[in-house]
Amino acid sequence: MFLALRDLKRGARRFLLLGVVIALVAILSTVLSGLATGLVTDGISGLRALPFERLAFGEGAEATFSRSSLRPPALDAYAALPGVKATPLGASFANAAPVDGGPNLDVALFGVSADSFLVQRADARAALSGTPGLILTSELEDEGVKVGDRYTLGAADLTLPVLGFTYAGTYGHAPIAFTSLETWQQIQYGNGADGRFSAIALSGTDRGLDRAAKATHTDVLTKDEAYAGSPGYTAETTTMTMIRAFLLIISALVIGAFFTVLTVQRTRQIGLLKAMGASNGYVLRDGIGQMAILVSIATISGVLIGGLLVFALSRTPAPVELNLPAVALVTVSLIVAGILGSLTAFRRVTQVEPAIALGVES
Amino acid sequence: MTNQPALSLDGVRVAFRDGLDERAVLDDLSLDVAGGELLVVSGRSGAGKSTLLAVAGLLRRADHGDVRIDGTSTAALNERRRSVVRRDHIAFVYQSANLFPSLTAVEQLELVGHIRNEPSGEVRHRARALLEDLDLADRADQLPAQMSGGERQRVGIARALMASPTVLIADEPTASLDPERAKVVAELLASAAHDRDIATLVVAHDSAALQHADRHLRLDSGRLHHVED
Ligand SMILES: Nc1ncnc2c1ncn2[C@@H]1O[C@H](COP(=O)(O)OP(=O)(O)OP(=O)(O)O)[C@@H](O)[C@H]1O
Ligand SMILES: [Mg+2]
Repeated sequence: MFLALRDLKRGARRFLLLGVVIALVAILSTVLSGLATGLVTDGISGLRALPFERLAFGEGAEATFSRSSLRPPALDAYAALPGVKATPLGASFANAAPVDGGPNLDVALFGVSADSFLVQRADARAALSGTPGLILTSELEDEGVKVGDRYTLGAADLTLPVLGFTYAGTYGHAPIAFTSLETWQQIQYGNGADGRFSAIALSGTDRGLDRAAKATHTDVLTKDEAYAGSPGYTAETTTMTMIRAFLLIISALVIGAFFTVLTVQRTRQIGLLKAMGASNGYVLRDGIGQMAILVSIATISGVLIGGLLVFALSRTPAPVELNLPAVALVTVSLIVAGILGSLTAFRRVTQVEPAIALGVES
Repeated sequence: MTNQPALSLDGVRVAFRDGLDERAVLDDLSLDVAGGELLVVSGRSGAGKSTLLAVAGLLRRADHGDVRIDGTSTAALNERRRSVVRRDHIAFVYQSANLFPSLTAVEQLELVGHIRNEPSGEVRHRARALLEDLDLADRADQLPAQMSGGERQRVGIARALMASPTVLIADEPTASLDPERAKVVAELLASAAHDRDIATLVVAHDSAALQHADRHLRLDSGRLHHVED
């Protein structure tokens, strides 16, 4: 890349425009990646934080709590398996209207047994087994909710006090409120609950789960599989993946078009190199190497700027999160797309005749 | 070993389509140039001089005939092999110097070594020495845009010599220079041919170049004719 490097250094202005375009694509890709990670995290941080490994849903519920309703015999079947811990989980969305002032809350209401492995803090266990109330995710404390505030939930018009705050996260972009399973059932079904709940949280070995699932007409999903049921999760990830794929294609095409124009402009130079005895491989290495260097510098600059932007945004309520593997993937895939794009000029380079070196310069 | 000519064209024919007819620009043309000989070819515009140089320099193929470099036939070689022969045996000097705009004078020469994959330290040393020989040492680190036309042309010649070629081919190297500069360039080519034992094939019309010619031929109707001056 003898020629390519000096060309880049001394003709930097010619490459500036393309460099800026690639950097902008890299910035956009990084911010989108941050947004994708942030949205996903925002949608499922509640599930991620809970210490279970699998969830059993009613058959065909496809990880959606509202489609799944189970009864105690199903729970017993799992609980009877050796090495398996199983506990019921009630999950639904509810509006919590303030009684004595404070913000109105749309929450993901999780009903858990106070003595289950899902509740790990001793003070939380004590709170949930006492008088009915809510344990809210700590973000709500920042929004002005205080311990002791009372909220009316659901159709049952049950009024519950805020018992405390914990790091609970969100589910389907709604802040999570924990309550006891009994209270959840009361809110969800009134007095006709009949022991129903949404899903079974499982921990421990996976031996025997298949059999239990078959016997109880339930589906066992891993935690990762269960994320897909979070409202918006699939749509968000698909949209983000699609936008990022388009950005990759766009940048490959832009680089291909630019490199093609550059190759046409350089036809005489290429002919001259070939007249000097340079092989097609030499000329291609020089040209594609030049694009690779340019794309790498522009992409890395763009990713760094994008990273700073994401970092700045992460201090606002915007759901963004910097994820290093995701950012590394953005960087590598943009560079690879750029190199693939520059391959479109491959034939143009190999077809230049050395004889044009003797032609009179225009 | 018999004394083979460094460059030898044998029964070369190149024809172009001209409407329905075929017009032979080079017609059964044969030519030998010995090492150390400066041969000047002239002819009217469109006579086929550049085409002759392109064939002799393996830049294009003849429709018929063979080109031998140091006795080695090239007719049957594929493009890859021809480019290797070019790289190792043939150098060009152009009417406009055809320098790379982003390379300094010394780098124009170093590029020759880089294409040949030679060690860069030795190449740099040789490039500087060659520029010094051609009285260009003070231009070594300047870009073509910072040089005069005559300087560019001399750097172009230095680049050609950097290849230590068997055959040097120059297409109207003095045409775009004023008589004073043309004289310098012509002398340079002549001394390159004579001192370095290079078979030098030059297309030129001006007296500066003709003065130094060992032999002068005119291209007309596809053939070469002797010119007595
Ligand atoms: N690729 C081509 N296709 C068709 N005709 C061509 C082609 N290349 C050259 N010719 C024709 O061949 C003839 C010789 O061209 P060439 O460039 O060799 O002339 P020349 O003697 O170098 O002329 P000049 O002194 O103007 O440089 C011209 O008539 C030209 O039109
Ligand atoms: Mg010509």
